Amino acid sequence: MLREWLNRLWGSLRRNAREREIEEELRRHLEFAAEQEGSERAARVAYGGVTQAMESMRDQRGLPWIDNLVFDLRYGLRTLRKSPGFTSLTVLILALGIGANTAVFSMVNAVMLKPLAYRDADRIVTLSTLWKKTGADQPSVSVPDYHDWHDQNTSFEAMAYFQAGDTAVIAGPAAEFAADAAVTNEFFEVFDVHPVAGRPFSEEESKSGSGAAAMISYSFWQSHYGGEWSALGKPLQLGGHALRIAGVLPPGFRFPEKTDIWFPANTMFRESTIRAAHNVQVVGKLKPGVALERAQSEMTAIGGRLEQQFPQSNASKNIKLRKLRDDMVKDARLMLYLLLGAVGLVLLVACGNVANLLLAKSTTRGREIALRAALGAGRARIVRQLFAESMLLALMAGATGLVFAVASSRALVLLAPANVPRLENTGVDGRVLGFAFAASVLACLIFGLVPAIRTTRVDLNTTMKQIAAQNAGASKSRFRQALVAIEIALSAVLLVGAGLFIRSFAALHDVALGFKPEHVLLMETSVTARMTAQQAMPVYKRLIEEISSIPGVIAAGATRTPPGTVRSNGPYWVDEAPTPQQISVSRPLAIFSYAGPGIFAALGVPVHSGREFRATDTFDAPPRAIVNQALANRAFPGQDPIGHTIAVATDSLKPMTIVGVIGDVRQLGPASEPVPEVYMPYEQHPTLSTFLTIVARTTADPGQMTGALRRKAREIAPDVPVKITGFEDRLSQNVAAPRFRTLLLAVFAALAVALAMAGVYGVVSFIVNHRTPEIGLRMALGATSQDVLKMMLLQGLRLAIIGLAAGMAAAFAASHLLSTMLFGVKPTDPLTYAAVVALMAMITLAASYIPARRGARLDPMAALRNE
Amino acid sequence: MSNTKSQQRNQPSKTEILQGTLDLMVLQTLTAMGPQHGYAIAARLEQVSGGAIRLNMGTLYPGLMRLEQRGLVRAEWRVTDTSRRARFYSITASGRRRLETEKADWERMVSIMHALFQPQE
Repeated sequence: MLREWLNRLWGSLRRNAREREIEEELRRHLEFAAEQEGSERAARVAYGGVTQAMESMRDQRGLPWIDNLVFDLRYGLRTLRKSPGFTSLTVLILALGIGANTAVFSMVNAVMLKPLAYRDADRIVTLSTLWKKTGADQPSVSVPDYHDWHDQNTSFEAMAYFQAGDTAVIAGPAAEFAADAAVTNEFFEVFDVHPVAGRPFSEEESKSGSGAAAMISYSFWQSHYGGEWSALGKPLQLGGHALRIAGVLPPGFRFPEKTDIWFPANTMFRESTIRAAHNVQVVGKLKPGVALERAQSEMTAIGGRLEQQFPQSNASKNIKLRKLRDDMVKDARLMLYLLLGAVGLVLLVACGNVANLLLAKSTTRGREIALRAALGAGRARIVRQLFAESMLLALMAGATGLVFAVASSRALVLLAPANVPRLENTGVDGRVLGFAFAASVLACLIFGLVPAIRTTRVDLNTTMKQIAAQNAGASKSRFRQALVAIEIALSAVLLVGAGLFIRSFAALHDVALGFKPEHVLLMETSVTARMTAQQAMPVYKRLIEEISSIPGVIAAGATRTPPGTVRSNGPYWVDEAPTPQQISVSRPLAIFSYAGPGIFAALGVPVHSGREFRATDTFDAPPRAIVNQALANRAFPGQDPIGHTIAVATDSLKPMTIVGVIGDVRQLGPASEPVPEVYMPYEQHPTLSTFLTIVARTTADPGQMTGALRRKAREIAPDVPVKITGFEDRLSQNVAAPRFRTLLLAVFAALAVALAMAGVYGVVSFIVNHRTPEIGLRMALGATSQDVLKMMLLQGLRLAIIGLAAGMAAAFAASHLLSTMLFGVKPTDPLTYAAVVALMAMITLAASYIPARRGARLDPMAALRNE
Repeated sequence: MSNTKSQQRNQPSKTEILQGTLDLMVLQTLTAMGPQHGYAIAARLEQVSGGAIRLNMGTLYPGLMRLEQRGLVRAEWRVTDTSRRARFYSITASGRRRLETEKADWERMVSIMHALFQPQE
């Protein structure tokens, strides 16, 4: 059966060659017959003619529908070639739609659809801390919790925690920052990775407090050791320890993030034993055949037991499991879906436009179609013919769109926020090709089918006559107006979305951050490569002093966490000295920062009362702290906090005297409210201050000062790596996601509006042409050109009103989808809606004006004669 | 006039009778005589049937094409004894298998019909 089909297909494809062959065969037959029968004529009488025989073979020879399709496509190609303007316009419009969709899809594909590059990746899950009261979960887990999870479960083949950092290392001539991770011994089992060179960690190397070993990434091996085997066993300076390189992991393995160095956890840095301190992340690999749901319910039971056992630290705390891939993309998902939906609307508008163009063209083709129908072509046959033409357009547009997509997806990746995972994998693969093809076919169904059916719904007898054509024209015009109204509605929806995002983005910009990032440079430093914390303090002290004295630097200070980064938080106690048993997660929380003299001046944070840190706040001096206004308001309502004490659970529980109150800072980004904060002098907490960011406020363009800062740092402390960024550049990363979606939605909305307006222009032109005799008559009867202009403009305005009414209703219904992405503006913001209505109405009038004026300038005599 | 036409329509045409058995006849001819061109097949059938079966080209060639598409026969251009080009058909292995089963079916059918037409005891 299949063989017959394939042979028939072959017959269809090489039609001409086969045809000649058959003809020759039949002629031979007649020759042989003629010899026997005596004459050629007798042979023909006996065996029939060549033409008739060939006709009867036609159905057997090929697949009739393929033959028809080939014919239709050829015919379609000829028709399209005959009107190159129409063809290229249509292809361009569709290609924009398909291209934009494919580009966005290629991002979705890279981020959400492509499988992770780990073996059995769908069995790898992340385990995070779930706060049952709020329902929120956070990736950080406490070490004692992890040990209980690890020891009590039966669902996991392997489970490990890791703690990632960006630490100073010396692997070559100079110190530098490298991404490192402390990992427990089952970590590599979870990902099923084995060293490509060297060996795994030995048992000795993994013992708590034992000597240090490191695993390096393949790319680190290449960049720092030239891929030489001699790298194995070489020491690597990190955190005041020399780590021996035990092995090299396979190329491409960099988990978590872009890690280059892995070392066994709980060796040179001891792990925490406090259940309320959440500072590691947990991954596990499910046993084969264990469903995520089953593992989740087991872990929930374990979490429940821990709640009972340790109410103080674990009250209302449980465990949340997620597939690793879902966990990685959970923040990007909503944004990607939103963009995909928005760009889908653009494609719909493009389809509406193309359908309109096809309908416009079909009025001129009405006679051709009527003729074919009169000659006996069935309606289905004609619909198929028109549809084949649409398919050709769609496929050409799909191919062009793919080119657009490849070009624009690169730009998209560059514009996208840097924290979207796996975006660098964006590219064209089979799935993207499939999507582009599917989008083309779908588009073809949308824009091609309706015009094809409508065009052929004509009465044979009347279409040939002029009057009926006019009537058909009227109904076609109504249909085209409906299409344009839909286009207006869709683009209005997009415009509302873009408007809300723009308002939200502006609100983000206008927020008072609580500090002044202009002209400020941040210099990240880390002393942990070769020095201990105690040795580091004098180095920092000197560095800050020397940098403040560089000409052009107005103020300089140091902090562990510049605004926008939060590294630690926890409970605090006012005017009491807590015991370790009192540490509990249910107390009010504050953010902890460690900073030095001059920091608030450098950041531009006002000191409300009391004083800044001083050089005298040293390790030996009495413990001091500065709190922010939010904490003062909360813990000391109506009181002056200066002179009171505050204690926090960090390296010591000793109460510290509050010496100052400073203004609030939006630490978690412009969209989040200020929270209570405690600042402590870095010199009094040396172990927590091994990496500090030096903040320098400059007079000049901060970009020009970078070199001077770097030279000074190199001169004072060559072992200390530095990373210098402008504060404003850094902050712009915070708003990268809103900026990206605002920009994209604005572009999509603009595209849709432009297409819709082309539709308005087309339809009003059509109406003017269609009603030329009527206009002529009206003018002959005394209507002024002003009246005609008004009448035609009203046509456009009517479209706008219908479209906008539908569009606003749809936008209103859909806008709550955006609510989590909006800041400082409601999804139903009346100003935005009013602005969109006004804007769209104006543009629609402008688009109708050009054809309307043409109608108004008609010479009545000529118009009438046109009849 | 119209009467004769409808009568003609009610009577099965020669091709319709042949439709089911043509394949069998062609395959059998090719087995018996080896590779043959189309005219030779038609001539052979005419001869065997004593002139009762005269195949029109419009019947024979679509049938041959169907057999070829199903892989039951194979065709190639060759030169005849009289040094002329012709398209020669030969039976394939699967054609031979098909012929065997069809033949058996046919013989069974014939014996059934035969039994049916026997006067009852």
